[in-house]
Amino acid sequence: MTSPGSDLALSTRDLRKSYGRRVALAGLDLSVPTGVVYGFLGPNGAGKTTTMRLLTGLLHPDSGAIELLGRPFARGDRQRLFEVGALIESPSFYPYLNGRQNLRALAATGAPVPPKRIDELLELVGLRERAKDKVSGYSLGMKQRLGIAAALLSDPKLLLLDEPANGLDPAGIVAMRETLRHLASIGKTVFVSSHLLAEVQLMADVVGIIAAGKLVREGTLDDLLNTQQVVRVRVAPASTAAAQAALAAIAPSTVNAADDGDDVWLSVHTEPNRAADVNRTLAESGIYASGLESGSDLEALFLELTGGGAPIAGSEGTFQGITSAGGGAAA
Amino acid sequence: MRIFVSGLRKLVGRPASFVTVGLLAGLLVLIIIASAASANRSTARGEATLLLVTFPAAYDFVLEFILGLGGLFAVIYGAAIAGSEWGWGTLKNAVARGESRTRYMLLTFASISVMIAVGLALTFVVGVGAAIVGANIGGVSTAGLNDSATLTRLPQTFVRGWFSVIEEASLGFAIATLARSQLAGIGAGIAFYFGETFARFFLPDIVKYMPFAVANASATAGAPATPGGDGGSTLSSLPADTALLLVAVWLIGSLAVAILFTERAEITG
Repeated sequence: MTSPGSDLALSTRDLRKSYGRRVALAGLDLSVPTGVVYGFLGPNGAGKTTTMRLLTGLLHPDSGAIELLGRPFARGDRQRLFEVGALIESPSFYPYLNGRQNLRALAATGAPVPPKRIDELLELVGLRERAKDKVSGYSLGMKQRLGIAAALLSDPKLLLLDEPANGLDPAGIVAMRETLRHLASIGKTVFVSSHLLAEVQLMADVVGIIAAGKLVREGTLDDLLNTQQVVRVRVAPASTAAAQAALAAIAPSTVNAADDGDDVWLSVHTEPNRAADVNRTLAESGIYASGLESGSDLEALFLELTGGGAPIAGSEGTFQGITSAGGGAAA
Repeated sequence: MRIFVSGLRKLVGRPASFVTVGLLAGLLVLIIIASAASANRSTARGEATLLLVTFPAAYDFVLEFILGLGGLFAVIYGAAIAGSEWGWGTLKNAVARGESRTRYMLLTFASISVMIAVGLALTFVVGVGAAIVGANIGGVSTAGLNDSATLTRLPQTFVRGWFSVIEEASLGFAIATLARSQLAGIGAGIAFYFGETFARFFLPDIVKYMPFAVANASATAGAPATPGGDGGSTLSSLPADTALLLVAVWLIGSLAVAILFTERAEITG
């Protein structure tokens, strides 16, 4: 874990929050260094949005402490949020006002905003041409872009974004990623909650993974992925058992990763540079791989740490999908 | 100040503002013109109807109408504005930017109060215009238009009435805040309004202290009787100044409830 105390833009200590009898956060300890993009990951119901709401004063914690930009944040410290920009859940606007009017209305609250800042942000998020259109006519992606502009209104030192890629097209996602990377490069801190693991892998410097209201792993992306090195190999279903037996010599924790219908992908937990060894071992056993990949996989780490979709006490569960054997819901 | 000005800008562009004023003014014009056009001078009832367009009494009728029905519309308007702040998530945005919840709610209500004053004034002007047209249709003289005693009294009556109407708006504002919903706030506000109106006939000694009754008593205080009107609040026995004081109490109480709830609320929507 990142050591707390020194140069943190955001930290929480033993943060707890319950809704009635349901525990949303069960002692969350986050340490977000200054000037990074921090990917905040977790399955549905893990407590991500509750955390975001606590960090922006929308909710009050049952216990625990929050520090924003090096200073305590509790009830009555609302002005600490003048240096924080946030997009929580879905973007919220007056539907009968246009994009520019909505930003102007928002700029009237909190920290003062220079008038030209609104046009700069509309340009940044590509809404200048549609700034005079009512928000009720905006697509989800346009609302999301306007929400990101709203979060950037006060030129915040700390940016809290909840699923910022929601509704964005591929070009928009790339532009958002570049913008967030740029903000981090000039010393701002970006805290991004997301389900898009591949996107987080491309964007984040530091990652925190939460499950059932507790932090289960936190660290730089490189460090985390180094613990999750894998070589993936595709073999025919008939050869699965023999391949597993052969590969056990390289790594005992070889597992079935996925069945793509015709073939089976096996994940071998070993250094990525041993891909050739894996291939040779299979060949020496008379098994020929039809595909070979090596590298580090955030998704595998995420599933391993969060239970891979298995029900966790206190969580809201997740989509279970259709299973080919066993007669899933729609099978 | 920024929030107040921004609140006014938001309300000026809001369809609910136009619809509310348009509906109130439209009903008033319809009643005045229809009454004037259909009144039969040869009957006593027709003569009485034409008093609606006979100045200076027409001033009082127009004012009594907009302050009476305007109260119901104000409940709905106040509830719509407060409820939408929760439903649309715009209060959430302001709080997440570090804005004071109390200041945001108070200044939002202040902008509502100014919009209500503008709406009442506009409707009054439209109503007086309709009464002049109605007088011409009904063949009634408009000589009383410049009655100095009435014109001197009108501003004070208008301000008293406006104060009563914003008290009614504050009830809708508080109810919708507690419900965190436009629809629930509007529905409960309307139910409260009519509930109190009906209860007035069965429990007059209690209901006379209730918010709509005191608003009505305060708004119509000093006004002469008009055809079909309360005529200076005959249903309430409260003196005008007591009614005015109670209006202030209900107004402050409603805002205090709305602010206290907002301060303590956990914003999850």
